[in-house]
Amino acid sequence: MKKKVKKWLEDGTVDLFLGYKIDCGHPLPHCFTREELDDVDHLVVGETRYSLEKIATHLAKKDPNLKIGLLARDCNQRAINVLTIWHQLDKEKIFPLNVNCCPSPIKPQADCSYMSGETAASYKLQVGIDNAMDIESADAFSDREKNIRWMYEFQKCIKCYGCRNICPVCFCAECTLEHKDLIGPGRLPPQVPIFHLVRASHMVGRCIDCGLCEDACPMDIPLRLLYRKVNTITMDIFDYNTGESCEQSPLSLLGDKVTLSLKPM
Amino acid sequence: MKCTFTPSICSYCGTGCGVLFETIDGRLNSTIPMKSHPVSQGKLCIKGWNLHEHINSPMRLQKPMVKTFGRFINTSWDEAIQITADRFREIIDQYGPDSLGVLVSAKMSNEENYLAQKLARAVFGTNNVDHCARL
Amino acid sequence: MTNSINGIEKSNCIFIIGSNTTANHPLVSRRVMRAKEKGAKLIVADPRGIQLSQFADVAVRPKLGSDVALLNGMMHIIIENGWHDAAYIEERTEGYEEFAAAIRESTPEKTAEATGVDPEDLYRMAEAYGTAKAASLLYAMGITQHVTGVDNVKSCCNIAMLCGNVGIPGGGVNPLRGQNNVQGACDMGGLPNVFTGYQPVTDEKARAKFSKAWGCSLNAKPGLTITDMIPAILEGKLKGLYVIGENPKLSDPDWNHLNHALQELEFLVVQELFLSETAQVADVVFSASALAEKEGTFTNTERRCMKFEQAVKPLGDTLPDWDILARLGTAMGYPMHYNNAREIFDELSALTPSYAGMTYERLGYDGLQWPCPTPKHPGTVYMHKDTFSRGLGKFHPITYQPPAEKPDKEYPFSLTTGRMFAHFHTGTMTRVSPHLDIEQQDGYVEINPQDAGKMEVKNGDLLTICSRRGELDVPARLTNTIDPGTLFLPIHFGENPANILTSSDAFDPLAKIPEFKVSAVNVRKAQAEIVEKTVS
Repeated sequence: MKKKVKKWLEDGTVDLFLGYKIDCGHPLPHCFTREELDDVDHLVVGETRYSLEKIATHLAKKDPNLKIGLLARDCNQRAINVLTIWHQLDKEKIFPLNVNCCPSPIKPQADCSYMSGETAASYKLQVGIDNAMDIESADAFSDREKNIRWMYEFQKCIKCYGCRNICPVCFCAECTLEHKDLIGPGRLPPQVPIFHLVRASHMVGRCIDCGLCEDACPMDIPLRLLYRKVNTITMDIFDYNTGESCEQSPLSLLGDKVTLSLKPM
Repeated sequence: MKCTFTPSICSYCGTGCGVLFETIDGRLNSTIPMKSHPVSQGKLCIKGWNLHEHINSPMRLQKPMVKTFGRFINTSWDEAIQITADRFREIIDQYGPDSLGVLVSAKMSNEENYLAQKLARAVFGTNNVDHCARL
Repeated sequence: MTNSINGIEKSNCIFIIGSNTTANHPLVSRRVMRAKEKGAKLIVADPRGIQLSQFADVAVRPKLGSDVALLNGMMHIIIENGWHDAAYIEERTEGYEEFAAAIRESTPEKTAEATGVDPEDLYRMAEAYGTAKAASLLYAMGITQHVTGVDNVKSCCNIAMLCGNVGIPGGGVNPLRGQNNVQGACDMGGLPNVFTGYQPVTDEKARAKFSKAWGCSLNAKPGLTITDMIPAILEGKLKGLYVIGENPKLSDPDWNHLNHALQELEFLVVQELFLSETAQVADVVFSASALAEKEGTFTNTERRCMKFEQAVKPLGDTLPDWDILARLGTAMGYPMHYNNAREIFDELSALTPSYAGMTYERLGYDGLQWPCPTPKHPGTVYMHKDTFSRGLGKFHPITYQPPAEKPDKEYPFSLTTGRMFAHFHTGTMTRVSPHLDIEQQDGYVEINPQDAGKMEVKNGDLLTICSRRGELDVPARLTNTIDPGTLFLPIHFGENPANILTSSDAFDPLAKIPEFKVSAVNVRKAQAEIVEKTVS
């Protein structure tokens, strides 16, 4: 793997390569370059996951001709597909180096072992939603119970926007979540359930089920399950498996007309 | 193009969450939670996520300034430091060291707080040192 | 904090008093919720309904400034029911008898009268806290910013010792620090009476040690606190002030009073990132580098000293604070030459026993929790494990005293102040941050719909609030999270600075902390007055 990255950098296949490097015992994202080729010896895969493809979009915005290599698990691959569909990345300029996701047998989607480390706590099982729950069991609750349980989870929200900020496929210059006529600003918790449902609806045909949102959530809200649920709807109705290919999403009718301006920083 | 990820600590409250500053070509681009941090475990609040914004703000002061006839004039470091040193020295000479006070900052690093109280105690000669823990 | 942030998750009961944790220490509230979900009991005592109140087993809204009465009332019930930890009290503490005798006075009826808390709720709080195996008490400025700040803190310690909760995992008395390096600023001697590591300036040995290290003689007289500095300026005793990275014009009590004092100064130097309200009135402004532009260490609320690195070059003509300080010292004839922050750290750790075992190499990004006295010491996850700093823990009998200002005919409302989730302190840093500004662009005052209804005030209508110190106009925000007769005003907004209303005379006699959390005020609809004026 290291050999390949070195070769890519040397022969100009890529201008830079996004991977991980250990610093004081912490695996941190690192940008490997031709100038510091020896650095590549320290390239690690590690268990820690950052959204390298999101970083790639930041770089591509600054220089659209930049050829970017990156470590890519299955979820990163799916994200790259979605970002290509939405004109955030040019697939010709992205060079994923495939790495095996996790020790578990890998299905095409939704079987990342990353999230399943923790067994839900007793009180959460009683009143909320178990993060490890599958869609069928979450759907099995009565409507009333479903409402109570999800509202419990949403009420915990501290409006950090971490789910959006970390999301590899969230890139809009203007975010509906910050539209004050739709969601009243300045209060904790944010207006529930609208805050979470607006975001969920925007994840339809976009969410690539990487689980980073849930991983970034300070309150352990089962966001991955929520977005997985909305994606099953696109699957059932349109037979569209988000991120599987670079085929347009059935919901992207406006896609070509919408100009996606740079997100201000 | 150069892109770096630098570990830092969020400066918005006393929790001490771990962040990474993402820079592109020497400019801060975003704040990312540090996944393996013992305190924050890869999560942040709204302030932490936007930590880079105040640093990038166009409102930042860029030069030391001295007020002359009621207006601020940009100046060099040497001049600003010398004017200050002279004025503090005059006040000490005229009224004694306890006529000076230093408000150190709960936003500065340990090293800087140490140096600030050292300045007050060893250079000014006063223990009039406090900060906003009470406020 | 005597204990650690991740230790909160090990707790069986979490008692939050005077902290709006989800807004001000969000990543601590994460641990609270996780503990709750694992089955811990959650008790919240706050005059406002806070987000965590919704998840609490018992949530009460005591009257402003009645914390001592509330805690005494809880302890009364704990002792009555024998939930206290007799073995722990016997082995680790002193002064219990006298204390227990005083607590007998604090009957549930008296407590209810002082706090407005229903005796049944009080019983449930006492039971939850008293019977928990390990109970963690969290507090913030809601406890300390009172005339009885020290009494409040002592009462928190009393209840924790009473139930044997100090020196155990998942327990502790845990103040949540409001600024990233308040702990460090205190540790580093940013206080008028102590050198680094709380070595008193009045102690001859400590003075000799620092005198030798610094090569100069040292003043033995403890200095002035920030609260004392203002009157000292007005009395003409304090002539020059050097303010580093603070904005006292917004953060200090009684804005008009302070404003006057700053004008009286002969020389004011402000070191800042922005032209803050205070910097505007300075004689010299030093432009400082920001967080990402320098390296150094911060010590968080759980005493964890952590390293941060430089990510970008300092902006324009700015310098790191340490560099400015060193240049100033050198210019004043005391050479201070350091190449980097690391050299300063090595100097300070050699002089500070609790930091003595720390080096940049050892700190890494995980940091070390002090006390860490030797190079092999792993740091201290929770304090007072076998003994207290003073040996035996001392119970202090505390009598409840009401706040300095109580509502009266002229000023019938109680005002309390605090922060909201998207902004920080005086807003200098957060209001220039687009994603935070969008969340809350203007100041507001929270008022109960009942009170608002009486004045025919709707959401967003301008209210005039006045106290004995001054008055300001601010838009109303109607909410049931505040009780009738009480108002909440966030401190972030310079256009309606809460501290026009607060008092600089009311402060804790020992800690000198101003009573920001209670002021008597009056409130009226602003437009109505303008109309009246034009009519008359």
